[in-house]
Amino acid sequence: MIKFLLKGVLGDKNRSVLPIIIISIGVALTVLLSGYIRGAMGDIINQNARFDTGHVKIMTRAYAENKSQIPNDLAFLGVDSLINELKTSHPNMIWVKRIRFGGIIDVPDDKGETKGQGPASGMAIELFNTNSGEIQRMNIPSSLVHGTLPKQVGEALIGQEFVDKLGLEIGDKVTYFGSTMNGSMAFKNFTITGSVRFGTPALDKGAIIIDISDAQTMLDMEDGAGEILGFESDEIYDDEKALELTEEFNARFVNNTNEFAPIMLRLKDQNNLAGYLDYVDVYSAMFVTIFVIVMSIVLWNTGLLGGLRRYQEFGIRLALGESKGHIYKTLIYEATLIGIIGSIVGTAMGLGGTYYLQVVGIDIGKYLENATMLMPSVIRAQVTPELFYIGFIPGLFAMVFGNMLSGIGIYKRQTAALFKELEV
Amino acid sequence: MSKNIITIEHVTKRFPVGDGVFTALSDINLELKEGEFAGLVGPSGSGKTTLLNIMGSLDSPTQGKAIVMGRNISDLSHKESAQLRNIHIGFIFQVFNLLPVYTVYENVEFALILQNIGSAERKRMVMEALEWVGLENMANKKPSKLSGGEGQRVAIARAMVKRPNIVLADEPTANLDAANAHAIIQTMKKLNQELNTTFLFSTHDEKVMGYLDRIIHLEDGKVALDKIVLPKTTAL
Ligand SMILES: Nc1ncnc2c1ncn2[C@@H]1O[C@H](COP(=O)(O)OP(=O)(O)OP(=O)(O)O)[C@@H](O)[C@H]1O
Ligand SMILES: [Mg+2]
Repeated sequence: MIKFLLKGVLGDKNRSVLPIIIISIGVALTVLLSGYIRGAMGDIINQNARFDTGHVKIMTRAYAENKSQIPNDLAFLGVDSLINELKTSHPNMIWVKRIRFGGIIDVPDDKGETKGQGPASGMAIELFNTNSGEIQRMNIPSSLVHGTLPKQVGEALIGQEFVDKLGLEIGDKVTYFGSTMNGSMAFKNFTITGSVRFGTPALDKGAIIIDISDAQTMLDMEDGAGEILGFESDEIYDDEKALELTEEFNARFVNNTNEFAPIMLRLKDQNNLAGYLDYVDVYSAMFVTIFVIVMSIVLWNTGLLGGLRRYQEFGIRLALGESKGHIYKTLIYEATLIGIIGSIVGTAMGLGGTYYLQVVGIDIGKYLENATMLMPSVIRAQVTPELFYIGFIPGLFAMVFGNMLSGIGIYKRQTAALFKELEV
Repeated sequence: MSKNIITIEHVTKRFPVGDGVFTALSDINLELKEGEFAGLVGPSGSGKTTLLNIMGSLDSPTQGKAIVMGRNISDLSHKESAQLRNIHIGFIFQVFNLLPVYTVYENVEFALILQNIGSAERKRMVMEALEWVGLENMANKKPSKLSGGEGQRVAIARAMVKRPNIVLADEPTANLDAANAHAIIQTMKKLNQELNTTFLFSTHDEKVMGYLDRIIHLEDGKVALDKIVLPKTTAL
């Protein structure tokens, strides 16, 4: 029977080709869009993790509350002992300290007069501690436009924007002006060893990267840091683990009323990322639902047309002694088969498109010029395992559902009218 | 005495038309015995097709009883009546109604697949049925490649392959030329004699009537005349 049906489906192009085309297109779009959203979201999360939130981040409560102002006066002191403690209690994670700082970068001319100035968005990381993995984590080698990495105190990397705007060259000196942890004036000279461009407007604007030891002296933060970041050793964010870790850590300090007591936040709790993730889930679900509905309606109609054309066939089969229920069942089998074929074709097409967008990406840089959100300017799709099956849900469902609806006509049919219908 | 294949007792069939009803068959009484080669004749609208529908379990009477192979049509479920058609009744239509996607062989085979007969046995039965109608060489052709006469012969093979007790044929020769009409009827007559299958036709066709051994005249939904005739000998 199955073989018989297969032959019938494949032999009748109207019955197979059109629905397969409709399903393939729907499935391909579903896969492509999911791949793109996932890729974009993955990139955004990844960037946030690497440059800002870590997988978990520890700050003082006071710092955390005013985080957007980079309140270094509320930063930790005694970070090294806290980090050592974390390294012992959670040896499978990587713990690093960072200091962010604002201020002004001043470029002097030969006589020491100001040649140009710009606001700084500084980041001090464990640049000289190769065990920290910070250089790779922040993609510095591949973001380097000119020059090399700083090797010693007093050296800095600077954003390519500054270099272009202020006419800097590698080896030039710049002066940082800002305020120390205690609110007094801070300034320090740096030799530029290289320029970077991360391709993320929020990072590239006013970027200056120095080693944490330089920042600690410059800002009067001996043994201090604004933030301690924790990363899984495989650098892949695991929300469940992060949540567990956060709850366990924060439980230790519930009864501590000190505003300088540490608080740990997981990635999702920062920068409104949970909101974005939910947003993406809702939109993906909505998109898939709309597709299922639209495709079902289209397929219901093609099913109806096909059913009309197949009236004669159903009539003969009824006369030959096939029951209505059996004909209906075979119709659903056929739909399942076509749904699977269409889904396979569509998934292959969608994966191809996703892969293309993964390699090439779509440049949204010009929409992000003033964005504060950490997101890459080239959004790439991502081929994930889910994409291999996600399209089967709308593909199969729409085809089977569409045919279930159109197949109801079989039951409505008067068997008695058979001879009449088959006369013409 | 040969046994009754079909017994029609006081069968009346009414169709709703507009506000009222139309009586297509009124108080029909008939018996059809095993091995009969009978025809329903009568003017258009006299109720021939309606009666065949009831006998074929495609419709049920408004009043009266239609007993086919010992089963009362009115008592059967969808499934049971499908079963009855599948095993005991073969249909032949005015237009041969072959499924265009399938070959001649597969068109004939379909009824056997529904009966879950194994493929080796199916093959033997299909080829035998094609031999009965002289089309064993056409097994792999598509219906679109057949002439009208060949198409109707495939339809006969399809109806006969499962060796039903009765074949109901609604104007089987209406679309055929004289030579093909004769050939078709002779083929059916031969099968009737060899396999003792009961045949019931509805027809306007004088050529068909010449072969019948019983002619039932319908007029306005009533049996006007029911007579045993001496059929033409089948000179084959
Ligand atoms: N489903 C139906 N609803 C209403 N009236 C019907 C229905 N089926 C048949 N009739 C009517 O019943 C009468 C008998 O019809 P039937 O088809 O049995 O005649 P027939 O003898 O086969 O005619 P023909 O030689 O034209 O095929 C006709 O007047 C027809 O219009
Ligand atoms: Mg008729």
